[in-house]
Amino acid sequence: MVAREKLSRLKEKFGTAIQRADLPGAGRLFVFVEPAALKAICQHVFRDLDARYIISIGADDRPFSGKFMVAHNFAFDKESLLTSIATYLPADNPKVDSISDVVPAANWAEREIHDLIGIEPVGHRYLKRLVLPDGWPDGVHPLRKDFAWNQVPEGYDDTREFKFDEPPEGCTVVPFGPFHPTLDEPAHFRLYIEGEMVRGCEYRGFMVHRGIEKLAESVLTYNDIPMMAERICGICGCVHNVAYAQAVESAAAIKPPPRAEYIRTIMLEIERLHSHLLWVGLACHIVGFDTLFMQSWRIREPIMWIAEKISGNRKTYALCVIGGVRWDITPEVKDELRKLLDKLEAEWTPVVAAVSKDKNIQKRTRGVGIADRALVKNMGLVGPVARSAGVDIDCRRDHPYAAYDRLDFEVITEGGCDVWSRVLVRAKEVFESIKIIRQCLEKMEDGPLQLTIKDELPVGRLGLSSVEAPRGESHHFVITGENNRPRRWRVRAPTYQNLQGIPAMIKDQQLADMTISLGSIDPCFSCTDRMETIDLKSGVTKVWTQEELLKLTRTKKT
Amino acid sequence: MSVLSKLKEAVICLKAGRVTLPYPAQAQPVPEKFRGRPIFDAAKCTGCGGCANNCPAREILLFDLCQEIRILQYLGRRCAYCGRCADVCPEKAITMSHEFETGTNSIGDIQQRVELFMSTCQRCGRCFKEPSTLEQLKLKGYRVDDVAHERWVFRSKSYLETEPVVDDIKIEMD
Repeated sequence: MVAREKLSRLKEKFGTAIQRADLPGAGRLFVFVEPAALKAICQHVFRDLDARYIISIGADDRPFSGKFMVAHNFAFDKESLLTSIATYLPADNPKVDSISDVVPAANWAEREIHDLIGIEPVGHRYLKRLVLPDGWPDGVHPLRKDFAWNQVPEGYDDTREFKFDEPPEGCTVVPFGPFHPTLDEPAHFRLYIEGEMVRGCEYRGFMVHRGIEKLAESVLTYNDIPMMAERICGICGCVHNVAYAQAVESAAAIKPPPRAEYIRTIMLEIERLHSHLLWVGLACHIVGFDTLFMQSWRIREPIMWIAEKISGNRKTYALCVIGGVRWDITPEVKDELRKLLDKLEAEWTPVVAAVSKDKNIQKRTRGVGIADRALVKNMGLVGPVARSAGVDIDCRRDHPYAAYDRLDFEVITEGGCDVWSRVLVRAKEVFESIKIIRQCLEKMEDGPLQLTIKDELPVGRLGLSSVEAPRGESHHFVITGENNRPRRWRVRAPTYQNLQGIPAMIKDQQLADMTISLGSIDPCFSCTDRMETIDLKSGVTKVWTQEELLKLTRTKKT
Repeated sequence: MSVLSKLKEAVICLKAGRVTLPYPAQAQPVPEKFRGRPIFDAAKCTGCGGCANNCPAREILLFDLCQEIRILQYLGRRCAYCGRCADVCPEKAITMSHEFETGTNSIGDIQQRVELFMSTCQRCGRCFKEPSTLEQLKLKGYRVDDVAHERWVFRSKSYLETEPVVDDIKIEMD
């Protein structure tokens, strides 16, 4: 067994620094180590054993063990193993050795632990505020258990301003965001520009941090959280829904019925189809190629309709509960889905054939937003960004979940490391998704949709789950708890890692390529609050205000 | 050759034709299973409070005015239309309607208030047989949500006080 072999290698090298280990089942390994040895062990795992860094988690465990906890998660993709290296820290003045100089990808995660839990990563070179808003008082940590979910901290100062770094000499600062037509969510980049070239940037984001993790561990219950989890993301919501349910199931050793696993797989692939078509359209829109934007969105629309037919909603499927799914796929829907897939394939094939030879789009995307193998390794980049650099990782194959271990599909990789390769990867993955759904419809067996859970879930157990979202790996970490809710739930969306690669991807590039480089990792689009209509007969142009649009939607009268 | 791919793209566009729908002037019919605004049927409701216990958005409030009268209020503001309330309702008193254009200038248009007559139970006064262990919440007995300020109170009681006043924010830590 791989987990045992890794554990014995660690024990050989570090001896008593490994306090205890837990091997709850295939593909999972939890190692509890001494705080002093944490950094050396992580370095060994990341560099010598060549694991991929996933995320670091901080947790306030004081009410239960009187200590704080820090865990660094790694993945051995070739050996289908997810590992968590955890350590417990004393309750007063918790400090842990920073691993960000040996694992650069841990930069954000450690800053987040510092912000939200108040554990200081000693030796972190850039310990600036990351998650908390500008006016939040220092020394107040909202994810600690003694901080109520609805508490407003004393000393909140609306007027306090964020201190940005000084730009390098000879550079001008160009602000990008928080509101920009190619960003759908607010994020602020301060770009350092020399002439037309971007020389660096500073990022200030987390402006829509909603505290869902805090709600989950203080207000919601196990079966409430899936419905909230899918609201983490507007495009890959079902991924979070499934990943959370699987993390809890893995912690509590629950196996959902086979039919539920197939339905999960089908819904995840339906989501991938719509997301890939959305993103290809969007990327084309960013570079000004609106023809393909319109066509790929037209081809996408019937997928939304079938999702609505299966789940009752276009996008928020509300699919999972712990131990199963809520919606069935009836024989009629099955037939309709098959027909839809045939049509989709017939429509998407000529589009890919036409676009892959189109010189215009290649001129805007080739050699732009370079993320090579070294960057992928150091920053922990995932999904199409990693696969466009020839890094062959895909959680569906590497850490099989739901019904993926019973299906046959290919992982698409390209070697260009640029935006063009990402377009190709995502365009081709559409065909793989079609293939997967067809196989599911063939192989799906009859049976119950949900497992009846009679006993309360065990307390204090750890669960991990990685799900391949359209944008990359989405990773959920759960510690089960009392009162029918988890003690700690940590979500790492793929963009969390991919965004950290952006400074390197846009460095020494034209300013005009910034938007597509950014767009290439994060498929989102900006909602506008006004629109323009032109009367074709009279040629009169009218600009609609937000109020007029609201009135139109509510009364349907102008 | 780029000209050729431009021609191919033109063919794709011409073949597609016009697909825009006349929304919002005319809406497409929604599928049978569509989850729109939940509708509460006062005639069927027994007041068990299962929906309120399992609403992820905490949009359903319960207030026990006295032993016999329970008020159930649906706030309709943050409701995610997930349909969990309809799932757990043992009497099928909640239906997910086909209404989705719920934009309004007055929130009262979508709110619902059900006043229920509760007969006295010998055990706790309010029983709810949960479909699975995970559906339970440790809030049994009498509930005193803050209906006036439309917010949940994370506490329940085994007896009714004469004046249930809850304004201390710390209490919500449970």
